[in-house]
Amino acid sequence: METDNPIEALEVPENTMIEMIKVSRTYVPDITALSDISLTVDTGEMFFLIGRSGAGKTTLLKLICNMEVPSNGLIEVAGYNINNLKGKRLAHLRQKIGVAYQDFKLLDDRTVAENVAIAMEVSYKNPQAIRQTVRDLLEQLQLTDKHNTITGELSRGEQQRVALARAVANSPRLILVDEPTGNLDANTTERVMNLLNRRNKSGATIVIATHDPTIYQKGNHRILELRDGQIHSLTRSNGS
Amino acid sequence: MNFWLAVFRQAGRNLRQTWASQLMTFLTVSLSVLIFAFFYLVYTNTIGASDRLSEDIRLIVYLEEEPGTAMQEQLLRKINNFDKTEEIRFISKADAYKRFAEQLGDDSDVLADMPKDFLPASIEVIPLKGLRGFNQIKLFSEYLTQLPGSEKVQYGQEWMERFYYFTQLLTIVVLLSGTLLILTATFMVAYTIRLTIMGRHDELELLKLVGATNSYIRTPFLLEGILQGFMGSIIGLTALYALFRWISIHFSGPGLLNLFHFTFLQPIIVISIVFISIGLCTLGSFTSIQKFLKI
Ligand SMILES: Nc1ncnc2c1ncn2[C@@H]1O[C@H](COP(=O)(O)OP(=O)(O)OP(=O)(O)O)[C@@H](O)[C@H]1O
Ligand SMILES: [Mg+2]
Repeated sequence: METDNPIEALEVPENTMIEMIKVSRTYVPDITALSDISLTVDTGEMFFLIGRSGAGKTTLLKLICNMEVPSNGLIEVAGYNINNLKGKRLAHLRQKIGVAYQDFKLLDDRTVAENVAIAMEVSYKNPQAIRQTVRDLLEQLQLTDKHNTITGELSRGEQQRVALARAVANSPRLILVDEPTGNLDANTTERVMNLLNRRNKSGATIVIATHDPTIYQKGNHRILELRDGQIHSLTRSNGS
Repeated sequence: MNFWLAVFRQAGRNLRQTWASQLMTFLTVSLSVLIFAFFYLVYTNTIGASDRLSEDIRLIVYLEEEPGTAMQEQLLRKINNFDKTEEIRFISKADAYKRFAEQLGDDSDVLADMPKDFLPASIEVIPLKGLRGFNQIKLFSEYLTQLPGSEKVQYGQEWMERFYYFTQLLTIVVLLSGTLLILTATFMVAYTIRLTIMGRHDELELLKLVGATNSYIRTPFLLEGILQGFMGSIIGLTALYALFRWISIHFSGPGLLNLFHFTFLQPIIVISIVFISIGLCTLGSFTSIQKFLKI
């Protein structure tokens, strides 16, 4: 269903956040990163993507946030065909999607606070609110003492948390997290998951790509396993 | 409100990060404004002087002999046939003698031994105001040479010719320096902005990813262009004004330069130059940033 018109978009069932139909992504010359993925993620769901390295998890997340375009198939986010969106519409949708990239994409020459603030600045939040949110987030992620540190000087685990803070800072409706706990100890991992769970409880849809069984085995979530770019299994965790 | 806050902060960062090339661009823009405005100033002053000179333009037709009344009327008709004139005056031999004597003043006794008709009779033709292009005067004089009884026609040919070619040359120089201004302003600014964009590619990419609108990304760069154009033209024009003051103080007074009543560029021209250079610089930065946004 092509919905470029926001009025039409409202008619799409509100409870579907991501809809992928037969999506493929190939890279030149002949690498098939994803093939024939069909998938629905409900609004408010916390959804896990697992699979070995190179299975296509990152590619899938990049397709959802329109950083990459699919070679084939249809992707709708919040009822919008995300690949038909341009200019202002695309920008506004992206403001509602928070992404923590696997490679962080932090600005290494800026402070931690500035990096976290960027996501809010582009949607013209007022400076005072921005400062407050940044402080709160850094505290939740145990980065308070790094507030004014240049991001390039942080450890990878710290950078990872800064990336996460930036992803959730603007209170996005959809949060995509790529490998959020790869460099973290158990305690910090739990803090990160607590933060994400809180966001999930307050209504955000969250998709997490991970290798870390400890975070997806708890709780009651759907887990999609990719293998060589294809859906291997879709299961539900029934942990404590 | 917050939009402008963000824009100014971003523009400030750009300036801080690439101030050296910004400074170069700014100097280049000032210099080209200075060069262009300088030639334009010379041009307008020359045109002014040439207008003032041509107020006094008269063609003097020397006649072989004193024309009778009938002859005078015939000549009048012929001259007016070619073109309307401001005034036509006949000067008899006696008149010419009298004028010459007046011009000599106290020395007029040297004329005492000369016959009163040793100067030729002549006709003074003052052409119409509108008809004063160099080529028209030339044609007119050629026509007057062919009048019956005309010996020769004088109007300061050589001088006028030189002046004419000088203004022609100036026109070309003004056009060239105008082109220079356009090129430097547009391309230098486009180039510095492209440099800034390349230096901050990661950041701008990230801004797009977190949902910055195109205008959020574009406006700081446009602002830079506006700033470059504004500052560049103001400094260029100020330098020209200083130069102008210096020249008019040091070169006014008696002499040929008196011909030039130096006047500075009119306010409307000054304002136009400022706005045009702002426009060009903004255009330069716009094309650069637009290229980036399209990717
Ligand atoms: N820009 C690219 N050009 C070519 N091939 C690519 C590109 N991006 C990804 N690939 C390939 O697509 C496949 C899937 O990559 P992807 O990054 O999605 O894996 P992943 O599941 O995220 O792996 P990891 O767990 O290591 O992060 C890999 O084989 C990778 O080499
Ligand atoms: Mg990955």
